[in-house]
Amino acid sequence: MAGVFESPKARINASMLTQYVSKPVCLVGRVEKIHPTGNSFTLSDGEGKTASVELNEPLEGELSGIVEVVGMVSNKGTVMASAYNAYRDDKGIPFDLELYNEALKVVHDYPQYYPFQQ
Amino acid sequence: MSATLSDGAIEALNKGNEVTNPVLQLVNIRKIDGGNGTARFRLMMSDGLHTMSSFMLATQLNPMVDSNQLSPNCVCMLKKSVTNVLKDGRRVVVVLDMEVLKTAEEIGGKIGEPTPYVEGDSRLVGLVKWALGPNKEFGKKPLVAPGTPGGSSKIVPIASLNPYQSKWTIRARVTNKSGIRTWSNSRGDGKLFSMEIVDESGEIRVTGFNQEVDKFYSLIEQGKVFYISKGSLKIANKQFSSLKNDYEMTLNGESTIIPCDDCQDVPMLQCDFVPIAELESREKDSILDVIGICKSVEDVTRITTKNSREVSKRNIHLMDSSGKIITVTMWGAEAETFDGAGQPILAIKGARLSDFGGRSLSTLFSIIFSLLLIFSVCVCVCVCVCVCRLFPPFLSGWVLENSRKLSPFDKEGHAMEGQSVTEVRGGGGLGSNSNWKTLADVKNEHLGHGEKADYFSCIATVVYLKKENCLYQACPSKDCNKKVLDQHNGMYRCEKCDKEFPDFKYRLMLSANIADFGDNQWVTCFQDTAESILGQNTAYIGQLKDSVRLSNEAAFDEIFQQANFNTFVFRNRVKLETYNDESRIKVTVMDAKPVDHKEYSKRLIMNIKKIAAH
Repeated sequence: MAGVFESPKARINASMLTQYVSKPVCLVGRVEKIHPTGNSFTLSDGEGKTASVELNEPLEGELSGIVEVVGMVSNKGTVMASAYNAYRDDKGIPFDLELYNEALKVVHDYPQYYPFQQ
Repeated sequence: MSATLSDGAIEALNKGNEVTNPVLQLVNIRKIDGGNGTARFRLMMSDGLHTMSSFMLATQLNPMVDSNQLSPNCVCMLKKSVTNVLKDGRRVVVVLDMEVLKTAEEIGGKIGEPTPYVEGDSRLVGLVKWALGPNKEFGKKPLVAPGTPGGSSKIVPIASLNPYQSKWTIRARVTNKSGIRTWSNSRGDGKLFSMEIVDESGEIRVTGFNQEVDKFYSLIEQGKVFYISKGSLKIANKQFSSLKNDYEMTLNGESTIIPCDDCQDVPMLQCDFVPIAELESREKDSILDVIGICKSVEDVTRITTKNSREVSKRNIHLMDSSGKIITVTMWGAEAETFDGAGQPILAIKGARLSDFGGRSLSTLFSIIFSLLLIFSVCVCVCVCVCVCRLFPPFLSGWVLENSRKLSPFDKEGHAMEGQSVTEVRGGGGLGSNSNWKTLADVKNEHLGHGEKADYFSCIATVVYLKKENCLYQACPSKDCNKKVLDQHNGMYRCEKCDKEFPDFKYRLMLSANIADFGDNQWVTCFQDTAESILGQNTAYIGQLKDSVRLSNEAAFDEIFQQANFNTFVFRNRVKLETYNDESRIKVTVMDAKPVDHKEYSKRLIMNIKKIAAH
């Protein structure tokens, strides 16, 4: 199987994790808790559900707000992050996680029109 | 036959505690003369332990007495009541709704050995006196206006006022107080103010002129209750009043207005909300009440009226649970100060229905209440409790019923889109009632081919800007933008002003090609819209153009380079125009705004769901 970066990554929310075990995904959520070791953190998505993200190396520096994580879903339903990136506010307009989740659902509801999922 | 009474209920009511649906026995009922108005009834009730005689029957329940449903010994349940505290600390329970559980015949006698309720504190003496001999005092005292000459004029309901009686006093709440208006005509000049007042029986409009303005204006406070006596009554001019009363009142030299402290039972406001969907079938110029969520707000504009007065005007878009949107126009100070942030719920009383642009509302003599934005049912319940205290129950009921429907996403996540009953002309942009089209739609639907110009909104990206001839030399006088003729002697001539000037001002007339996913379109942008697309002001662009320095020429080009491939929300006017027997579609940009991505995404998601539902 190709690496995470080479293959298409499905945008999903926390409740879809179980359907994407061993697949590359992209998850966007708000940072809730960071494990004291810095090796993992939890994200809450636009529905308020949480997902755990595990890192290969401890976090460098702070991480807060809205974060996009790209990685592989583990058997436990956690995301093994290959990369993460914090979103900054766009000209003072905060990222609307609920709205993002609505868009996400549209993409999953109509795969015939959004064929880039798999 | 017997029944179980809610023992202890009388004590609880007297202490001001909440008692839900207490079951009490009616001991006695007495009619109180309320002057010319509707009769009021006072009840003595027993809970088996105590009796209390300070129950007042709300007038809408009078038929229960008239039909003999309510007669001594019957057992009833108080379904809705309000406890008022009088100035001297006594409590009066106004019964708003009750149900007879057992008739007097079924019960046949007094239940238990109730004694008059006496509160065990320092007010004992007074209360005993009151409890034992209530018939003399209560019922009359609060119904006599203080300070009126002779102290004898009776409090009457507003509904009973007519031009043929002069000796009366009403007790009413001011729901709307106007500013002082002045007039000046051939017969002289003067000033006036008006207010709208309400009591439990109805509402009426009151106007005061000149001396009465000086005398009463500062005294009147919106929301407060006043005793008002001796005004002149005349047939109401419905053109200026939205109230449900055939008469209106004019204050005169004999009128008195006295503030009233004991005002809890005077209603705040009477509204009869009409669903927005129903407005299409209502008659033009009717005055009505609406309630809805303020979906979007346009900017204030200044317009000049027919008699050359300048006023501020603001349009807002109101949607209710019928899913329809209507444009509401506010004027003057109201337009200037209105804050529509956070999509507040607005209750508008007395708006005038107009057929301008389909159907729209104007708020000239109206009252506008802003309620909170309610996102979740949970928050809603809290708000409701507050609203219940402030507003009549129907309003809070409405909020409860509709808040979920009105929140931007309901629990399935469907964005609610309204359908406007107002056609859109100019302005606008972000409101969900804009006429959204793709550029392909504009061509396929032959927009602009009709007699009148069509307007549409679109989201499009600038793909080409014509640098050449984007500036022209215009007349420098204010408000004249006519192109001037270079006389080649240092003077510039304006045909319109019929004058020559030593200078000119640059104005923009920019041709742009805009594109969306399906098509592209040449459009013309004038001054303001061209400036928003180029991101620079005209004077600066003109300077760069006239400069002979190479660096400035580069800067001029740079502006056009930078402006390429930016995306805007365009509001366009489209019209088929004919020059020299050649017809072509001309599209003019009325407004170009940066894209509000949230709003745009919501609309796209909504449209996708709408298509999917078909």
